Amino acid sequence: MNNETIREPSRFRDKLRAFFGSDSFKGLLPFIGLVVIIIVMNILTQGKILTAKRLRLLLSQVYYPMIVATGVFFVMTLGSIDFTEGSTLGLASIVISKLSFYSIPLAILGGILTGAAIGAINGFFHVKFKLQSFIITICTMYLFRGVCAYMTTETAVPASAAIKALDQNWLKITITVAVLVIAWFLFRFTRIGNDVKAVGSGETAARFSGVHTDRVKFLVFVAAGALTGLAAFVNVIKVGSITSTAGNQLETQILISLVLGGLPITGGAKVRFSNIVVGTLMYTILNNGLVMMGFESQTQQLIKGIIFLLFVALTIDRKALKVIK
Amino acid sequence: MSKTLEKLKASRYYGLVLLGAMLLFFYGVFKILTPGNFGSLSNLYTYLQSSIIYSVGGCGLYFIVVMGLFDFAVGANIVLSSIVGVILSSKFGYAGFILGCLGCGTLIGFLIGMLYNNLNVPSMIVTVGLMLIFESVAVFVAGGVKQTLAPELRFFSGAPGNIILAGLAFLLMYFILNYTKIGTYCNAIGSNEFTAKNMGINVKKYKLIGFMLLHFFVGIMAILTVSYGTTMTALTGMSTMSRNFQPLMGTFFGVAFRKYKMPITAIIVGEFIISIIFNGFVALGAPTTIQNVVTGGALLVIVSLTARGGKGSVVK
Amino acid sequence: MDKKPLLIAEHIDKRFGITHAVNDVSLTIDAGEIRGLIGENGSGKSTFSQMLCGIYTIGGGSFTLDGEKLHIRNQVEANNVGIAIIVQEMGTLSGLTVAENIFLGHEEPFMHFGIKDTGAMNREAQRLLNEYGFGRIKAADMIDHYNFEDRKLVEIVKATYSKPKILVVDETTTALSQNGRLELYKIMDAVRADNRTVIFISHDLGEVLAHTDSVSVLRDGEYIDTVRSSDVTEDDLKRLMVGREIGSAYYRTDYGQKISEEVVLKVENVSVPKEIRNISFSLHKGEILGFGGLSECGMHEVGKAIFGASWDRSGSVTLADGTVISNIPTAIRHSIAYASKDRDNESIILNESIRNNVVLPSIDDLANRGLLNQRKLTQFAEKHAADMQTKMQNVNQFVSDLSGGNKQKVVLARWIGKGSDILVLDSPTRGIDVKVKQAIYALMSELKEQGKSIIMISEEIPELLGMADRILIMKDGVINGEFLRHPELSEEDLIEKMV
Repeated sequence: MNNETIREPSRFRDKLRAFFGSDSFKGLLPFIGLVVIIIVMNILTQGKILTAKRLRLLLSQVYYPMIVATGVFFVMTLGSIDFTEGSTLGLASIVISKLSFYSIPLAILGGILTGAAIGAINGFFHVKFKLQSFIITICTMYLFRGVCAYMTTETAVPASAAIKALDQNWLKITITVAVLVIAWFLFRFTRIGNDVKAVGSGETAARFSGVHTDRVKFLVFVAAGALTGLAAFVNVIKVGSITSTAGNQLETQILISLVLGGLPITGGAKVRFSNIVVGTLMYTILNNGLVMMGFESQTQQLIKGIIFLLFVALTIDRKALKVIK
Repeated sequence: MSKTLEKLKASRYYGLVLLGAMLLFFYGVFKILTPGNFGSLSNLYTYLQSSIIYSVGGCGLYFIVVMGLFDFAVGANIVLSSIVGVILSSKFGYAGFILGCLGCGTLIGFLIGMLYNNLNVPSMIVTVGLMLIFESVAVFVAGGVKQTLAPELRFFSGAPGNIILAGLAFLLMYFILNYTKIGTYCNAIGSNEFTAKNMGINVKKYKLIGFMLLHFFVGIMAILTVSYGTTMTALTGMSTMSRNFQPLMGTFFGVAFRKYKMPITAIIVGEFIISIIFNGFVALGAPTTIQNVVTGGALLVIVSLTARGGKGSVVK
Repeated sequence: MDKKPLLIAEHIDKRFGITHAVNDVSLTIDAGEIRGLIGENGSGKSTFSQMLCGIYTIGGGSFTLDGEKLHIRNQVEANNVGIAIIVQEMGTLSGLTVAENIFLGHEEPFMHFGIKDTGAMNREAQRLLNEYGFGRIKAADMIDHYNFEDRKLVEIVKATYSKPKILVVDETTTALSQNGRLELYKIMDAVRADNRTVIFISHDLGEVLAHTDSVSVLRDGEYIDTVRSSDVTEDDLKRLMVGREIGSAYYRTDYGQKISEEVVLKVENVSVPKEIRNISFSLHKGEILGFGGLSECGMHEVGKAIFGASWDRSGSVTLADGTVISNIPTAIRHSIAYASKDRDNESIILNESIRNNVVLPSIDDLANRGLLNQRKLTQFAEKHAADMQTKMQNVNQFVSDLSGGNKQKVVLARWIGKGSDILVLDSPTRGIDVKVKQAIYALMSELKEQGKSIIMISEEIPELLGMADRILIMKDGVINGEFLRHPELSEEDLIEKMV
């Protein structure tokens, strides 16, 4: 009799623990985090963050990081990492601005090709020389950041008035949504998603199962670069003139966003496409909320850092990491 | 015949020759291109003085990188520790400056190590978060103003002060790697953490020690950095990120030459080579904005030559 | 009894979650004996010995060594009381010197006030290496410069130099060549001669009987019996391990069946640098072609070469219709399947679900104009995993949770699902318990009946004799002998061509 009363709650607790420890719950955590952040920010800013004007501003800051994050998502699913987004965005923006005086389609194409070329360089060294993507992309980040600095040594690079006139929300929304939908479709309904995940979970076994591992890795890097090049177009129409700091630290911002979105750093089987959207939104809302609350930039950053660490510590899937490096 | 060749390839002399050849090659190229304003002895001495600052950090990072970990908060700690050092120096002179930099540096290392061990989150992630935090803390500590090192406290700003301090740091590194268990254990953890644990190595303890050692060296680097530049401004917005990479390049050299049992020499010479390449381009008339192009490009070539994985190896 | 008990295990117990890995095991081991410890996979023999060596914590019960109760928390503490282990996998660490590896965790004799005397450590390590007769290994060299076999020898020195009272050899021999094995047996005999004890764990029952004094058998985590090695046969041991008669149904029983003349695969002058030289043979329809030899003879590379997975391969692999196989995707597309010896790295993706592992090679077949239907994929995986009787919760379970035998079932399910006609199976039953082994042999016979061709590469001679229609023996990278299936064919005949 006594035994029964003691055992009952513990069984309930076991069930609770089983639920909170389960993968399905872990998968939900980023969404819960997003909702919590929206509610908290809404309370702290006394509802100002949800006004139409604010939302529009918020959205305008989401477009190009989300496009970039989509590419990096695939790279990180491989278990690799890419630190070149910032410098790629900078360089592609310069190319787009210069070409925008001749033809806008040419400018867009030029931007995408610039990004794809940088991605191809990363992928080539990574695949052909078997060098860690982490090391390679730090090198190329440096390299292309330097090229950006060199090209903007004298003055900022202006873009044509024609391209600036394209700064309209419908266009940016269309591009962003199109990128997301196409990427989601490829990830979910073609073998691309399976291949990328397989390489991330076990590259050797994937090769022995008929996956063209080297080709997959190379193409993912090219695609990530190309998407960053496309994002540069969205960036150019928004800012209109490119300085040496264009895209500065974008790579860190994307890394933080994706990790906030619940993307496991090891890549592989447990990635979710929603990581991109949730993560980017969370980062942007957090950013905006802190600005609206009137904090100084150093305080904002302090809070961001703490929230990032807390969130990661709470949500990370430690089972997938055999050894935590 | 091929046996002896393999033997030779494994010896440290082969590593030394390889490093020397790279050094000579780059020196030679620029000396031929611009004999006038590059590569005199005094020029080389100047290049060396700027490169050893990064070499010191490279030594520290070696402990962490061989364990397979990473640290993005190095740059933030250089800024934070040097600001703490400069502030303390206005009250306690050299004692405050040196102890401030080293103490703050090591303390930060302790913090990173503890958080990493207890949160069970990859080091790359923890240190990105902490980088954000330390950057803003540095702004608070500095009170938002530029911190200047008093002119009478600038012993380490040039030769022989900087050479002496860096030399001491290298000796310390040599001692730790060869005459304590720390070097062996860090390598063991990097090679296979499970086996290392089963051998009775307290993995968490040595990871903590690794982070503390790294940031002790970062403290030394902070002394050299702020002495060299005489001022330090704290900025937010992940601006310290780029400071992580210069010491890291030396570390790459060190890890690549580990198999020749000469990581420290490789770190020092490696940073020196990068300095030579950069200064060579400047001597050729390239604007200083080209610095990153050169460092990035040179490093890409060098890691392609030294750090390639074998056929079929899995690299991420 | 003149021998006194050295180790007494009483009521040793261990659970992993719901699995009762070791269930109340009590046994006694004498000083000066070599004790075999056998059992199927999952019988608890490794868990038992790893508790003794401090790799796992003891779940319940106690070990008494030389009259003293043990309280061990890790491998170093076990070493300190005189228990050492040589493990199956790579036990040496890259990036360290040979001497650092030997003394890892035991640097104290060379430490003075926290300062390590590296010179003295290297000299002592070299002295030990010379003493063991491994003088060609230099203590101050980085271990990275030595091959797997030499690194294993360093590990043996590491485990035994302190003269442990008990030396545990945990399935080490599968990783060693014949020479390495002989070195190990010599050291085991020396330990016994010194009135110390060896616990010898192996799947190779012949080896166990030849080199032990007595054998203890575990089954499903429980202690079954201890027998004198001189009193029993391999069949007796098998019976004890499985708990029932393993009859002649274990292997094929048919002899004299004619192999079809139809050639399905032709291998001509295939060489892989440092591995194999000028290998040529043909594979016939419905044939089980065995490849045998010592583990370093190159036969494992032959499997990779056929599958297009070798690096720098020369020569040609051609199918009956003239298709040339030069890379893995072509091989898979043209109905060749490959199950690697290195199952966890090369055959399956550990951190992936059973479903995705099974569908991976068939994904193009299941797609409709490049588009995937997720439900169709799941059904496909469910069907083939169930056909193989894979023990699982559902197909979304990760492969990393499965036992060795079930992992192999996932691998086979994948290729059966793909409908491959030529199966290259490298060590298909390696580290797999008797029951699953039997299932795999049955499957091979069934596939043969269906007219599929199998290349079976194996280090186990009875398996080759029992299953293959034709056996090619390799030595030093070349084919050294060919045998046809015959009841009179003996292990000695094959071994003669191997060494």
